[in-house]
Formats: sequence, C-alpha cells, structure tokens
Amino acid sequence: MAIKEKTNRQLFIDGILSENPIFKLALSMCPAVGISTSVMNGILLGTAVLFVQVCSSCTIALVRNYIHPKIRIPTYTLTIATWVTVIDLVLAAYVPVAYKAMGLFVRLIVAFAIITMRLEMFASREPVGKSFWDGMGMGLGFMFAMMVLGFVRELLGQGKLLGFDILGFGPLLYFVLPCAGFVVVGLMMGFFNWIEVVYNRRKEA
Amino acid sequence: MKEIIKITFALTISCMIAASAMGLTYTVTAKAKKHNHHMNVYNAMVGLLGFGEDNPAPSDLKFLSVYRYIVEDGDKKFLGYMVPVEKGSEEAYEMVLMDLEGNFVEKLEVPIAAEKAEEDLDRAKALQEVLAPPKTFAYADSSVVATSGGKRLGYVMPGKFPGFRTFIHALVAMDPKFELLGLEVMEHEEDAGLGKNIEEEYFKNQFKGKTYEKLQTLKVVKKPLPVEYKKYLEKSKWEEGMFTEEDIAEIRKQYKDADIYAITASTISSKAVTDGVKILAKKFAYRIGKLDSVLKKEEIHAAF
Repeated sequence: MAIKEKTNRQLFIDGILSENPIFKLALSMCPAVGISTSVMNGILLGTAVLFVQVCSSCTIALVRNYIHPKIRIPTYTLTIATWVTVIDLVLAAYVPVAYKAMGLFVRLIVAFAIITMRLEMFASREPVGKSFWDGMGMGLGFMFAMMVLGFVRELLGQGKLLGFDILGFGPLLYFVLPCAGFVVVGLMMGFFNWIEVVYNRRKEA
Repeated sequence: MKEIIKITFALTISCMIAASAMGLTYTVTAKAKKHNHHMNVYNAMVGLLGFGEDNPAPSDLKFLSVYRYIVEDGDKKFLGYMVPVEKGSEEAYEMVLMDLEGNFVEKLEVPIAAEKAEEDLDRAKALQEVLAPPKTFAYADSSVVATSGGKRLGYVMPGKFPGFRTFIHALVAMDPKFELLGLEVMEHEEDAGLGKNIEEEYFKNQFKGKTYEKLQTLKVVKKPLPVEYKKYLEKSKWEEGMFTEEDIAEIRKQYKDADIYAITASTISSKAVTDGVKILAKKFAYRIGKLDSVLKKEEIHAAF
C-alpha cells in the first residue's frame, strides 16, 4: 500500500507492528543490543525516542519545502541535536527526578538511525499531521520492541521484572551481558517474522 | 559556484536557527539546572553524614569548602589551599601556600564574597588578583568540611575515578577520625544489571564504618555476600522488628573488618570503586593533617 493512501491510524499501527523499527526495519540496533537489559531501560529510552521522533518529524514536515536537497541530512542531524539538547536541558531544569533516570538515554539519541531514517523516508515528504502519527507509531514501536527485549533479558538474566524480584534468583547471568543482546534480538526478530508469515498464510487460506 | 554559495548560505542559516534555539533554552533553564545539581549534592552530603527523616540535621549544619590549587612561581611549586576563615562575624577566604613538604610559605587574603566562592570562574578571577603573574595557579580539587556548633562532624570528598566504562563520580564521607561514614555514587555509566549495582545499598553501604587502619589493606573478595549481611546493608528495605539492637551490634562487629564483597560478574567495577575510595580517603587524610598543622602553627583561624 502506498504511503499516500494510508490513514493516520494505519500509519500509527504499522509503526508498531508491520514496520516495527527494530524487528522489521532493523534500525537502531545498537541501543537494542546495548541498553535492553531491563524493562525499565526500555521504557525510559522508548519515551525519550518517542519525544525526539515526534518533535523532529513535525519540525522537518513543517519546513520540508525549504530544505535544500543537497544538505538535507545535515539539516536532519541539526534538528535532532537541537531537540535532544532542548529536552535534555528542560528535563534537567524542571523534572530532576526524570532527568536522573533518563538523562543518559536522551543524550544517546542524537546518533540513532531510526530518527534520521524516518525523517528522510517520511517527514520530508508528508504533511505535519501524517508525520506526527508516523513519529508516534515509530516511537511507540521502538518502545514496544525495547520492552519485549528487556522483558526477556531481565527475567532470564536477573530473575526480576521492573526491578521487582520475580524468580528470586537470576537463572542465566549470560542474558545481561552485551553478547546476549545479539542473540535475543535475533531470536525475537525471527519470532515476529514467523508470526507474520503464519498470519498472512491464514489470511490467504 | 552558485550552488556552493546557496548551500553555504542554507547551512549557515539552519545552524544559526538551531544554535539560537539551544542557546535560548540554555539561558532559560541554566539557573534551575544548577540549583537542582546543587541540591542533589547537598542532599547526598546530608545523607552521608547520617541525617535523614528520622534524624534531622541540626539547623547550624554548615558545609565549608576547601579548594586546593597547584601554584607555580618560576620553577618552584607550591600547594595552595583556599580556606574559609573567621574574620569577625563575616566569612572570608584566605589562600594558604605551603611547599610540597607541607611547610608554610605565606598566606594571602582572597577578595571574594562567600556566596561567590562556589563558582570556579569567580574564584579564578579573585585569585588572579593575589597570585599575579609570573605566578600561575591551577585548580586541583576541593573537599568539604561539615561543621555544627563549631565542631567538625566529618569530611566529604567529591572525587572521580576510572570505572569499567568511564569515570565514576562519587562522594566519600569520613568522620573526624577518618572512619568512613559512607559512599554515594553520583554519576556513572556502568552496565545495567552488572556494574550499575555499585549504586545499590548492598554494595555501597559495605564501606560504612571501615576504620582508617582497615582502609590501608581493604581489598575486594570474590565471595558471595552472606544473606544476613546483605539484608542488614539494605537499610531502605528494613521492616519493623527485622533486626533488634543486639542483632545490629552483632552484625556490625562481625563484618567490621570484612573486605568488600564484589558484585557478581562485576569485579572490575567493584575493584575500581574500592580503589577509588581508598586513594581518595588516604590522600585526603594526609592533606588535611598537613593543612591542620600549618593552620595551628600560623594561628590562622579557619572557620572549621
């Protein structure tokens, strides 16, 4: 289905499921591997990405007709950097509690592929409204994926969920280590693709 | 050519817009951000001294900072301590210069208001006046002396040391006899689930109550943390009647001279923190000893 024909609702849902940034588009794998050690990390990083994605998407969609095509990538980077800095400073000043937990994650986002990618693929071509919903979908999709990864790794690695002791012991410390990130991301990616294949086959039948 | 100029122009404009947006936010938020940071450190220091909800801090609790500088005059090197002194009812600062062996050289009055002394830039400006070229000075570090009612309650030393990933910023507190009052990890980037546990109570509270003698030989052991000890260390999870007074005294006695139990699978982080605390505490104890003897000999009435 071409982008033009998609409704806002479809855009939003696609971002979470059939175009999930981590499981489907395979973007921003560094944070997916590095930071998905707990559900809380996933939620925090996901929230931060959601904010920056939506803000940057709307900004770029607003000025999309004035951007010189040869310098669009630097412009995207500038936009993202500006929003990251602004959010970082505002959090530090007015929401110190959130800043303490999220500060580190917010600063990481400047280098995320998913945001630049969505600006290039979507926001630079579509109006503000659609870009907003695409940003929402992508941000939430990213958060969802990070939470799923965090769920698996935290439960199996530390025996905890959201910091609460569930199992009372950590079955396999291996899952907390960075190398397990690759394994879990790979397995999850396979799992989600398998579900889609099965779903499509059912639909056809 | 025309294209290049166009691109340059467009890039310059976008950079300027971005820069003004960032600059504007900075000006609006700078004050609140600084205040938050300040409050964060202040609360951590109060907590380290053992004050909290059920044990409120005395109203005359004061944190007095001592700033250490390296002063160079030609090829001679001195240590300079900027010390708060009592001058009538007002608080003033004096620069005490000593040579590397800790012998007094001279003292200089620093023209700076007490509330401005916390700012690095303001301090440098004021010091420029008393330490004019060819003398040069460089800021080294600072430590805090906590006083109440004219008595010293303890020392707090902010410090940073290399961790597993990057620097770990921490506060270490000692009582006047150089027994460790505690450790607070302020900033770090250790791995979640592994090195991040240095900020957990069961790790950082292990340092509490270690004597200065024990500190000399303190090391990290790779043994599982005893269950009872862990429960004792996690103070915020204590339930009513979990420990009686005798239990606490018993556990304290048992583990008083215990080494630091490493965090599972994070021995490097545990070691980094332990070594950092050791070095910080040792250096400070040596320095404050030298400084105190100079202050006493020269009859400088420091505010602490």
